[in-house]
Amino acid sequence: MIYSEVSGTLIKILVSKNQIIEEDTDLLVIECMKMHIPITAKKRGKIIDIFIKEGDLISEGDKLLEVVYDF
Amino acid sequence: MSWKKELEEKLIREKLSENLGGKERVKKQHDAGRYTIRERINILTDKSSFHEIGKISGSATYDENNDLVNFSGSNFIFGNAKIDGRNIVVGGDDFTLRGGSADASIREKHLKCEQMALSLQLPLIRIVEGSGGGGSVKTIETTGRANVPEVEGWNLVVESMGTIPRVALGLGSVAGLGAAHLACSHYSVMVKEKSAVFVAGPPVVEQIGQKLTKNELGGYEIQLKSGAVDAAVDTEEEAFNSAKKFLSYLPNSVYQLTEQLSTEDNPNRTSEWLIDAIPRDIKSVYKIRPIIEELVDRNTFFEIGKEYGKSIVTGFCRINGWSIALMASDPYSYGGCWTSDTCKKVQKFVDLAETFHLPVIYLVDCPGFQVGLDAEKKGTIKEGVRAMSAIWQTTTPWLSIIMRNCFGVAGAAHKRGSSYISRCAWPSARWGSLPLEGGIEAAYRSDIENSNDPKAELEKITTRLNKLRSPLRSAESFLIEEIIDPRNTRKFMCEFANLAAPLRKIGMTSRTMRP
Repeated sequence: MIYSEVSGTLIKILVSKNQIIEEDTDLLVIECMKMHIPITAKKRGKIIDIFIKEGDLISEGDKLLEVVYDF
Repeated sequence: MSWKKELEEKLIREKLSENLGGKERVKKQHDAGRYTIRERINILTDKSSFHEIGKISGSATYDENNDLVNFSGSNFIFGNAKIDGRNIVVGGDDFTLRGGSADASIREKHLKCEQMALSLQLPLIRIVEGSGGGGSVKTIETTGRANVPEVEGWNLVVESMGTIPRVALGLGSVAGLGAAHLACSHYSVMVKEKSAVFVAGPPVVEQIGQKLTKNELGGYEIQLKSGAVDAAVDTEEEAFNSAKKFLSYLPNSVYQLTEQLSTEDNPNRTSEWLIDAIPRDIKSVYKIRPIIEELVDRNTFFEIGKEYGKSIVTGFCRINGWSIALMASDPYSYGGCWTSDTCKKVQKFVDLAETFHLPVIYLVDCPGFQVGLDAEKKGTIKEGVRAMSAIWQTTTPWLSIIMRNCFGVAGAAHKRGSSYISRCAWPSARWGSLPLEGGIEAAYRSDIENSNDPKAELEKITTRLNKLRSPLRSAESFLIEEIIDPRNTRKFMCEFANLAAPLRKIGMTSRTMRP
């Protein structure tokens, strides 16, 4: 599971369900304190679910993506 | 007549104390993937260097002739030892004996361990598992009375925070006084999935309606984010190595200074890619850790508290062989804005540097404090002024390099007004009371509102002001001392480290740090 570590507005979703993601891939972009902050993959995995949509207001700790790493 | 008989009896007790809590409990400890306290000390310390104090202290039973029947050691083991050839004091709980709790402990051993490290001015490593010698509910039955809570000897712990490096390793479930010992350190480490830290464990917490596993309550993910613990590693061996590495940057006590180590890294090494390191698009972020790694002596950066207060990266490093405390903004977390947690992290880190006389280098990209309701609810401004005050109270040599943003009160905290600091900026630096992007609409509201084309008016004002905010214009007025080529930053830092080294002064600081 990937949770938000910052509060802000989700401005871009760069992945889709079932997509394989590599380490360091940018997954989402949150605008926070007027900066565009990418959420990146910490390791290789697969996107199972996306819980947010572009334009959503995000709070710290919100559930963003479900990712599996062993597949 | 010789005294061999007495010595033989002593050896019998020593041998028995090595049995710890007995075969079954030792097996249980191993089956859980954890070492016993004696194994831990053996792995942590240099071979045969451990000199145990009070090895035959414990509880003995005697027959009607007063001959020894059985002996069980105390569940706290301590002594002096060496790590990497350097003297330290180490003390640890034996979880196989009453879970490390007071029932099988001898309180004076804990006190003596603290006194020993403090008096000999040696670093202390505490290995904590269980309640760290604190009481359990059963204590009332073993003693026949309830005790008024008191942590005898805490004065020693407090004094040592300002005198000697304290490292705490939480290697299992740690609660109560054990958790206090873990938190009361300059550096603490847990083992992922095998350690849990809490004031009170799951059975107690269930009584207030929270049904949680150990990991859910006090696992590493909780405690790293809360800032109660500094690091988590995969194995106990890694925890020992982390302790050694942390101590390698510090003197034995505040009465010594760290020495310059030889380095093969060239102090004049330039880094071509740093000219492009900061994006021109002010909304774009960049990764700070590769920049840090590029600037310090190769492979010497040791990060502390990575998961806590993430807008600031803190850690030790070597610059031209000198031990340095390094802080750097991380734009990936709130654009580098100081959150409440960030402020607390800065306080502790700056105090740590001041206590052990480490010069500080701060790579600045701070657009200000975090703003918004969340920030207000967390008391950001209160923690912010505490962080700023901690910086102003430092006397250790200080270098700030402004890489990009430097705005508002939090931005101003890159320097102390109380004494000289070294300072320079990269050409990508931008500063002010408030970022233009956040303030033009408010400051020029009437101009914009009264314009026939408010959007065009806003753009016109923005363009006009942008031309004025070049760092070169500030340098013309000597508001910033120097604009440097980012590619030469390491050279600048090495020169600072060389100049700072002879300025470091031994002794306790006037305000000793709190944990």
